[in-house]
Amino acid sequence: MKGHKRDILSSGKAPLKSPVAVSVALHLLVFGVALAGWSWSTPPEPEPRSISARLISPEPRPSPVVEEKDQPDKDRERKQAEAQERQRVQEEKARKEAEKKAQEEAQRREEERRRQEAQAQELAEKQAREREAARQKAEAEAKERERQKAEEERRKQEEVKRRAEEEKRRQEEQRRKEAAEQERREEEARKKEAEKKRLEAERRLREQQLEALAEQASQDREAEARKQQEAAAARAREAQMLSESEKYQALIRERLSQAWYPPSSATENMTARLQITLLPTGELVGVKLISGSGNTAFDNSALSAVRSLNRYPIPENRDTFERYFRQFTIEFNPKKMRR
Amino acid sequence: MLMTDRKFCLDRILKTPAIVWLALMLTLPSGARAELLIRITEGASSAIPIAVVPFAESGSMPAGDKVSSVVQSDLTMSGEFRPLEPSRMLSLPSERSEVYFRDWRLLGQRYVLVGQLTRNGDRVQARYELFDVNQEKRVLGETAAAPAGNVRSLAHHISDRVYEAITGVEGVFSTKLAYITVSGQGDQTRYRLQVSDVDGKRAKIRLESREPILSPAWSPDGKKLAYVSFETGKPVIFVHELATGERQKVSDLPGLNSAPAWSADGRSLLMTLSRDGNAEIYSKDLASGKLSRLTNHWAIDTEAAWDHSDRGIYFTSDRSGGPQIYHMERPGAEPRRITFGSRYNARPRPSPTGDYVYYVHQRDRSFHIARMNLENGEESVITRTGSDESPSVSPNGRLLIYATRQEGEGVLTVVSADGGAAYSLPASEGEVREPAWGPVTR
Repeated sequence: MKGHKRDILSSGKAPLKSPVAVSVALHLLVFGVALAGWSWSTPPEPEPRSISARLISPEPRPSPVVEEKDQPDKDRERKQAEAQERQRVQEEKARKEAEKKAQEEAQRREEERRRQEAQAQELAEKQAREREAARQKAEAEAKERERQKAEEERRKQEEVKRRAEEEKRRQEEQRRKEAAEQERREEEARKKEAEKKRLEAERRLREQQLEALAEQASQDREAEARKQQEAAAARAREAQMLSESEKYQALIRERLSQAWYPPSSATENMTARLQITLLPTGELVGVKLISGSGNTAFDNSALSAVRSLNRYPIPENRDTFERYFRQFTIEFNPKKMRR
Repeated sequence: MLMTDRKFCLDRILKTPAIVWLALMLTLPSGARAELLIRITEGASSAIPIAVVPFAESGSMPAGDKVSSVVQSDLTMSGEFRPLEPSRMLSLPSERSEVYFRDWRLLGQRYVLVGQLTRNGDRVQARYELFDVNQEKRVLGETAAAPAGNVRSLAHHISDRVYEAITGVEGVFSTKLAYITVSGQGDQTRYRLQVSDVDGKRAKIRLESREPILSPAWSPDGKKLAYVSFETGKPVIFVHELATGERQKVSDLPGLNSAPAWSADGRSLLMTLSRDGNAEIYSKDLASGKLSRLTNHWAIDTEAAWDHSDRGIYFTSDRSGGPQIYHMERPGAEPRRITFGSRYNARPRPSPTGDYVYYVHQRDRSFHIARMNLENGEESVITRTGSDESPSVSPNGRLLIYATRQEGEGVLTVVSADGGAAYSLPASEGEVREPAWGPVTR
C-alpha cells in the first residue's frame, strides 16, 4: 500500500497539484483496494465432514487348556489316555466350533442391526449438523460482514487519522527541516564569519610580515642600491674617463694626423714610437723616441709632428688626464702612403 | 600585484650579490691598465710648409734669379713642399742666432732654411742651415760653392740637400731634361734637341735639324744622349756625347731604326728595327755592334725599356690587335700582357723602384698618362690634361714629366708620381715634345 503510494508520488510524470487532490486520490484508491480485497478474501469454505468411525474388534479366543499328566512311565496308559483325551478334545473342539459358529451368526445379525441403527442415527445427526453448520455459517458470515464493515470503518478512520498525523508529521518534519536549515545556515554564516575573521587575521599577519620583509628588503635594497650606485658611479667615472679619453685620443689623433708630414721615403712598414709627457695644461713636457723606424727623415717627421702641437687637447678631468694623458705613447705608422 | 612586487623584491635581494660581484669584477682590472697608445696611420695630405729665407749676401752677386727663389721653385715643383712667401716672413734670419722658432711656428712653418752667400773670387760659396721649427733643431748645416755663373746649380744642389734631409729621398733638382722642340712652318720648320735644367731653365740646343728628331734617351751616366734623327731622310739612331758634341750613328739599317733605350750599364741599347720587314726589338751591344733579337712576332713590337732588374723588358705590341704593354721577363721568355684597361696603352716607362709602370693610356678619346701598380695590377690615371704623351720618370721615382698641349701649344708638365701635384715648365717657343728625364750625376 505504502509502496504503491510512494510509487505514485515518486513517479513525477504528473505531479499532483495539491495535497487535497492527493488525499482524495489516495482515499479513492484505498477504498477501492479494500473492497477488492474483501471480495477476494472470502473463498467458498468446504463443508466440514465429521465422520465418527468405530472400530469393532472380534472377541478374543480363549486359550486352550492343557491338562498335565504326571507320570510319563506309564507310556501306554498314558498313550491311551492321550488318545482318549485327543478324542475327547476333538469332540469337544467340534462342539465348540459349532457353538462358536452359532454364536458368531447371532453376533453378526446383531451387528447388522446395530449398524443400520447407527447409520440412521448418523444420517439424522449429519442432517442436524449440516443445518447447524449452515446456520452457524450464515451467522459467521453476517458477523464477518459486520466485522469487516467495522474494520473498514476503523481503517478509514485510522487512515484519516494516519493521514492527519502524517500531514502533521510532515509539517512537523518540514518545520524541523526548516529549523535545521535555518540552524545550518546560521551555523554556516557563523562559520563563514569565523573563517573570514581568521583569514583576515592571517592576512593581516602576513601583511605585517610582508611589510616587515619589504621594509627589510627596502633597506637592503637601498643599501644595495647605494653600493651599486657607488660601483656604477665608479664604473661610470671609469667609462666616462674612458670615453673622455677616447674622445681626446681621437682629438689628438686628428691633430697629429694633420700635423704629420710623412716623408716621401716613408713606407708602410716604418713605425716610430714616441713617448709623450704632458702637463695638465696640455703642454708638452717631453718627447722621447722609444723605437725608431730606421729612417731618420721618418723619425724626424714624427718628432716634428708631436712637437708641432702647442697644446694637446686633453680632458679637463684631472683623473682622466692623470690616468691616460700624463704620459702616453704615440705610434706613427703610415697605412696608406701616397706614392 | 602587491604580491608579485614583493616577490620581485625578494628575488632581487637574492640576485643582487651577483651584480655586485660583476660590478666589482668589472671595476677591478681597470686599475692596472697599460699605457695609452695612440696610432697615427695617416699624415697630412698637403705639402710641407717650409720657409726658404732669402740668403744673406756678402760681396757682389751675379744678376739673375736668387738662390733662395730657385730653391723655392724647386721645392714647389716637387709637389711635396709649400714654401712660404718671403713677404709674409716676420724676419729674415741668415743664421741660427737669428732664428726665432716661435715666430716660424706661429706662421705654421715646419722648416726654415737660412743661408749666406759669399763671393769668393769667381766662385760663390753658400753656407746654409735647415731648422726643424717644432723640434727647434738644426737638420742640416753645410757649405757649397759653385762658379759665379752657375749659382743655379748651387741652388739646385741646395734644393737636393734640403729635399733629401726632410724626405729621406734623393733630390732630382740637379738633373737635366732632354726634349725636342719644333718651331717654324714649312721650310722653316726646325727640330731641336735641347737639354735644360729640371725646371726648364738654362736650356741649350744640342742639335738642330730640318728633319724630325725623336726619342731622346739619356745614358746612365748622363753624358750621352741617344735619339732618332731623320736628317738622312730615314730614321737613324745616333748617340750624342754632350760634353763634346760628338755624334755617332749607332743603327742605320734598312727600314726602321727607332726607340733607343739604354741598358743600366750603358753598354747596350734597346732599339726597334724593321730590317726583316716587321718591327722587332733588338739589343745592340755598343762596343761590338752585335745585335740580339728579343722579339719575334708578326705584329709590331716597339718602345722597349729595361725593367728595374735590367733582366726583362717592357714594350708596346699590337699583337692583340691594338697597342698594349707587354712584359718579357727575360730575353726569349713569352711576353706577358699587362694592360687591359683600354684599347690603347703604349710607351711603357718603369719606375726605378720597380713597383710601377707608366704609360700612355687612352680613355674617352683622350690620352693620359696612367700608371700600373705592378703588385696588384691596379691602374690609375695620373694626369688631368688630355693629349698627354711621352712619360718619363724622375730618377728618384717621385716625379714624372710628360708632354701635353696647353692652349694649342705643346708644353712639358711635371707631376708627382701619384698625380698629386702638377707643375708646368715654362713654355719655350714652339712645340715641346718627348721629354727625357736625365739621371742623377755626381
